[in-house]
Amino acid sequence: MTLMQTLTEKAKNLAVRSPWIYRINAGSCNGCDVECATTALIPRYDVERLGCQYCGSPRHADIVLITGPLTARIKEDVLRVFAEIPDPKVTVAVGVCPISGGIFRESYAVNAEVDHYLPVDINVPGCPPRPQAIIEGVAQAIALWRQRI
Amino acid sequence: MNTLKILLRNLVRGPSTVPFPFAPAWTPERMRGRIEFKLSSCTGCRACEQVCAPGAIRFDKTPEGLRFMMWHNTCVFCGLCEFYCPTDAIRNGNDWHMAHAVGEKYGMAIRETIPYVACTACGMKALASAPNPAGVKPPFTPEEIEQQRNLCPACRKKALAERGVQP
Ligand code: SF4
Ligand code: SF4
Ligand code: SF4
Repeated sequence: MTLMQTLTEKAKNLAVRSPWIYRINAGSCNGCDVECATTALIPRYDVERLGCQYCGSPRHADIVLITGPLTARIKEDVLRVFAEIPDPKVTVAVGVCPISGGIFRESYAVNAEVDHYLPVDINVPGCPPRPQAIIEGVAQAIALWRQRI
Repeated sequence: MNTLKILLRNLVRGPSTVPFPFAPAWTPERMRGRIEFKLSSCTGCRACEQVCAPGAIRFDKTPEGLRFMMWHNTCVFCGLCEFYCPTDAIRNGNDWHMAHAVGEKYGMAIRETIPYVACTACGMKALASAPNPAGVKPPFTPEEIEQQRNLCPACRKKALAERGVQP
């Protein structure tokens, strides 16, 4: 094994313990964003126990949480930001909006379903899903991400 | 002094973080989660389809009967279907473990069919749905429900009239 391979292997083993989470709001009503923030920020739910942390830049992200039905106005920006996220990544659709359009389904102003445009891996239905359900989705995403890296 | 108080309180009460996902999470009894559908109680009135804002419920006529379809991935868990259902055939359970891989997206649904039967009185093709209990006094007994289920609408009316109640 060359030195490079050994180093890559070492880096991988370190990285799998602590994925970084990035949140994209694709035109959500903010309900799901509040739940996502709750999941991370308040000690009652504390998603950081799973070893992950929210980050501010798409270039650092490993797990992407998408909320909202991909409104016509935000679509291009979401796709641009999503393209900046390096592979391997795992995408989690939070709430019924990105999964099917939910309450905004069939509206002229939304482009749901998000998985027509982006590769989504995990769905967390709910409107909004409760924090524990988001944690469950993130846990599934982490498991998937460990296989991918 | 204050620090000491908080320290003591935290020692007594333990951590305030809920243990989920490492232990089961507490769920309120009446939380509105996954839909439960009881085919044998459904009258086929389609009120739930009418009131469902995101269109999560759909009824279709098929050669076999009236097909009920409900998709959890667009349901907003508002509870209106439960509220308007005359027989409690549809209700929100409190199961919220619905996170799933995207491959199971269309598996997050309920698909059931109220079959057609031949009316036991006149032989006409009719839906084997439960009778609507609204305004029926005294209420239907389980035997009467089974009897009504196998009648066509006209014969149901007749049976109700013989019972001494206007339908
Ligand atoms: S799923 Fe519900 S709470 Fe979440 S963004 Fe859509 S409408 Fe808002
Ligand atoms: S809970 Fe609301 S959104 Fe869900 S199926 Fe019932 S009426 Fe439709
Ligand atoms: S009986 Fe209840 S579940 Fe059946 S169609 Fe009517 S409202 Fe819907």
